[in-house]
Amino acid sequence: MPKITIDGKTAEVAKGTTVLQAAQALGIVIPRYCYHPSLSISGNCRMCLVEVEKSPKLLTACSTEAADGMVVRTDSDKVKAARRDVLEYLLINHPLDCPICDQAGECGLQDYYMEHSRAKSRFPQEDKVRRQKRRALGPHLVLDNERCILCTRCVRFCSEVTKTSELEVMERGDHSYIDLKQGKALDNGYTLNLADICPVGAWTSRDFRFKQRVWFLKRTPTVCLGCATGCLMEAHHNDGVLYRLVPRPNAETNTWLCDHGRMTYKAVRAGDRLAKGVIKNGLIELEPALREAAGRIDENHPAAAVLGSPWLSVEDNAALARLAKDAIKTENFCFDFPGAQGVKDGILINEDPAPNARGARLVKDAYGGIALEELRARIVDGRVKTVVTEARAAAFVRDAVKASGARLIVFATNRADIPPAAYATLPYACYFEVPGTFVNFQGLRRRAEPSVAAPEGVRPLWALVNRLAAYSGASLHLDSAADALKEIVFK
Amino acid sequence: MISVKKVDNRPLNLLERLYLPEIARGLLVTTRHFFVNLFNPKGMPTVQYPEKTIPLPHAARTRTRHRLKVRADGSPKCVACFMCQTACPAYCIRIEAAEYPDNSVEKYPAVFDIDLSRCVMCGMCVEACPEDAIAMDTLEIPGGALTRSEMLMTREDLLRNLPGEAPSVLGASNRLANEYLKSKGEQ
Repeated sequence: MPKITIDGKTAEVAKGTTVLQAAQALGIVIPRYCYHPSLSISGNCRMCLVEVEKSPKLLTACSTEAADGMVVRTDSDKVKAARRDVLEYLLINHPLDCPICDQAGECGLQDYYMEHSRAKSRFPQEDKVRRQKRRALGPHLVLDNERCILCTRCVRFCSEVTKTSELEVMERGDHSYIDLKQGKALDNGYTLNLADICPVGAWTSRDFRFKQRVWFLKRTPTVCLGCATGCLMEAHHNDGVLYRLVPRPNAETNTWLCDHGRMTYKAVRAGDRLAKGVIKNGLIELEPALREAAGRIDENHPAAAVLGSPWLSVEDNAALARLAKDAIKTENFCFDFPGAQGVKDGILINEDPAPNARGARLVKDAYGGIALEELRARIVDGRVKTVVTEARAAAFVRDAVKASGARLIVFATNRADIPPAAYATLPYACYFEVPGTFVNFQGLRRRAEPSVAAPEGVRPLWALVNRLAAYSGASLHLDSAADALKEIVFK
Repeated sequence: MISVKKVDNRPLNLLERLYLPEIARGLLVTTRHFFVNLFNPKGMPTVQYPEKTIPLPHAARTRTRHRLKVRADGSPKCVACFMCQTACPAYCIRIEAAEYPDNSVEKYPAVFDIDLSRCVMCGMCVEACPEDAIAMDTLEIPGGALTRSEMLMTREDLLRNLPGEAPSVLGASNRLANEYLKSKGEQ
């Protein structure tokens, strides 16, 4: 195990560790552009130059392996001068686009210039090399070659992570620029990661473009509900409006985030967002809708069924289980979703498009219930005449409901989710607006935290269930989401 | 440090304590002003603001109502970088950015509102602007409105160059805008 001294601090690191990683472990930050912990080492930006004793020249910390007895300095005058010079070099041809650049505020050039250089440019603005300005590449991105500092993070991402190799550095020397290879299109499903890893404003998101300045954004850690992988992510929002989702890199699940997952926030303020109940096709206030739904359930208690949903949190599924057991008092409830699990594309996207099949299983363990096949059979043979479920989970019993003409009462966030067979629809607050617990395909507990407020009058699903039970004459005593979790045992 | 000023309240003398002579003395002052102004109204120092204003001297430090400068083609010089909104201590600026399909400066303010009823006339927006797009040199003093909505300046209210002023060509992103204007002129 090599022992390395950086700025007077000594640490023993594993063989193969680079100087930059060793410094990070010691809490010393070495500036970098091309280095990314999840990509291969390139060593082209020269920002991480450090002084190593007995080495005649400065070495790049990102590509130098720590050796036994190595003495490194990251704060000497020589290193400081090198950082200043590298920044001056990178800024020679960088346009003064900051006022119109979306990266401003989280830009590597801005940050390091303020931290390490603050020197006036010695090169006249008129002599800057001109390159192609904005150009839409792929469904999600805009490329500005002029702002690019050729760190090749994007090129390496496409060849190493998605293994689609769409991008390449064209030409050589000071003619170099990033471009698509001939005949390729930038639509690998993970393209928005390029906007994240780009240290400057060369790659920016088309969706987020000019929507908000990044320094206005507030951050809420939450979890992606796009599939069963359950990637950790951060919701960026301001004034009650969500603007973008970015990954929270972690060892268990994800470093990146797929384009599909990043667009899940769109449903929150979509035009078809439900703020009122729907009976057949007409909008109706929430309370009358609840009364109507409860009335339909009460018509025939033993013939009512509750189907949980892998799209709902553990709390809301547990509340539905309580509704079936304690309010409707029926045996016809099901929290068993045998969805295929496992990473489908080798990167992040899961076989199961629903985020919480494992969490629904916990509810089944606590409350029991029948199998999905059994529920379908009971609907078909007429033993179940009313089904209460979530809009997307209604697809599990679609054919059975169609065959028997059973009445469907669903909870939905958006109008597009409502199945055509639904009799009554109740709006509920989505998991960007209320907290929820999810269990991903690995069995890890994931917490969705609220970042924005729900539209007026829209309440969490457990609260609706509580009201439904009250209309049916039973009290579930659900005052918070945590109340529903009481009987659930997390493994 | 709080400075303390001691006020010497001398006791009232007999004439003052009699009360009525002092009332008469006060009324005399008011009556004199009334008759002087009645027979010589031009001598009044009062300005009937906001119906009447006195022209202000054009000094560099004078901060008056805002304006947004205009490029040669009539488009706003502002590129909606949000620097003024960020710097504003009174939160009176609201901008919504939009994108030009053709102009290489790419960004422009679709909405640019200044709520003058909130503005504290500090001039931070002018200092923060990297594009020389906002100025407080109209020599108009905001105020004297009967409703709040009259105090809300929209983009159209703000956009103008001063009479005789050549369009400004300063600013960080101006190169892109000028190139676009030039290419349009050549076509």
